Amino acid sequence: MTEHPERIELEAPLAGDFHAVIRLIIGGIAERVDFAFEEIDDLQLAVERLLAEAGRVGTVALSFEVGTSSIRTRVGPLSESAVAEALRDGDMRPGELTLRRILQTVVDSFGVEEAEDGRIVVRLEKLKGLP
Amino acid sequence: MSAPDRRIAVSPEQAREEDRELLRRYHADDDTGAREELIERHLPLVRSLARRYAGRGEALEDIEQVGAIGLIKAIDRFDLERDVSLATYATPNIVGEIKRHFRDKGWAIRVPRALQELNASMSGSIERLTGRLGRSPSIAEIAGELKTTPEEVLEAMEVGSAYSTVSLSQGPGGDEELDPLETIGDEDEEFERSEQRAALEPALERLPAREREILRMRFEEGLPQTQIAQRVGLSQMHVSRLIRKSLQVMRDELLRMPPGAG
Repeated sequence: MTEHPERIELEAPLAGDFHAVIRLIIGGIAERVDFAFEEIDDLQLAVERLLAEAGRVGTVALSFEVGTSSIRTRVGPLSESAVAEALRDGDMRPGELTLRRILQTVVDSFGVEEAEDGRIVVRLEKLKGLP
Repeated sequence: MSAPDRRIAVSPEQAREEDRELLRRYHADDDTGAREELIERHLPLVRSLARRYAGRGEALEDIEQVGAIGLIKAIDRFDLERDVSLATYATPNIVGEIKRHFRDKGWAIRVPRALQELNASMSGSIERLTGRLGRSPSIAEIAGELKTTPEEVLEAMEVGSAYSTVSLSQGPGGDEELDPLETIGDEDEEFERSEQRAALEPALERLPAREREILRMRFEEGLPQTQIAQRVGLSQMHVSRLIRKSLQVMRDELLRMPPGAG
């Protein structure tokens, strides 16, 4: 199991203008783990799609646990029911493009936790060097 | 020996007549194949106009992409009653779209020239490194190749990832923006909209064929960007931008759709 000794926490406005800043920070963190260009792009896309569904009002907390060859990210709490719905387990039709399918493609694992206030936190894990 | 060019030269008058016939088929008969053909026929015009704006820190292929949006709008808005050729009508639309793109991105004001140039040279560097290493390069490797720092590469990546919010897939209805208040529905409508957002495919149909195919390769076949880039003949950076842009366009389209549509 990979250790995750380094932890970075960030609270950012949900307003779209700050998405680019969040992408830049993710890039900087992933570069420290020597992620490939494409792996960084994948992690940025995963977070970007979650933020896109999270609305534009208020703030969102992001945390990054940086291991030697992986990054675990937590995004939330998110209040949009659409996010929970999109990530719900269930049969996916061939060709169906859901948030769940996008995350399945771009990160190695993800999950949803319920926050104390009924909102959700999405966990993402991206490993280095896997196809 | 190269194959002989079998294209038959047509006069400008013939070309104009053919355009009018295709426009008639599209606007009067709803023939979307005619629309696709018109786009294909006028892409050389887009490329020619896009080249005028090359060297300003934006990849030529991206400028062409933006110009193509202007072309599509011109085709969709063309009035058959007008006594003007499509090329004449489309030119200001294409140029206007490109200018708006540069203005929206604010290249000249906000992005230092060195960063613009670094962004423009990154695409080629990534291709070279991918070919040499047989895998996607790290930021440090890209920085080494370009003799710069990883931080500057990351900043240049971000410069390149900015994109216009103009939809790629506006239909014949034009580009009228909805009043934001019109997008607020009652509770049931909101619920239905949420369900739509869980699955993006109703909006998938509205994307251009190339973008649909790229999304299919990435999210259905699970191909990495490097392989998709090879298949479609684009740079990896461009594929990355198209994926991000397409997903955002699809989401925006879903929010525009009336509940139950699609």
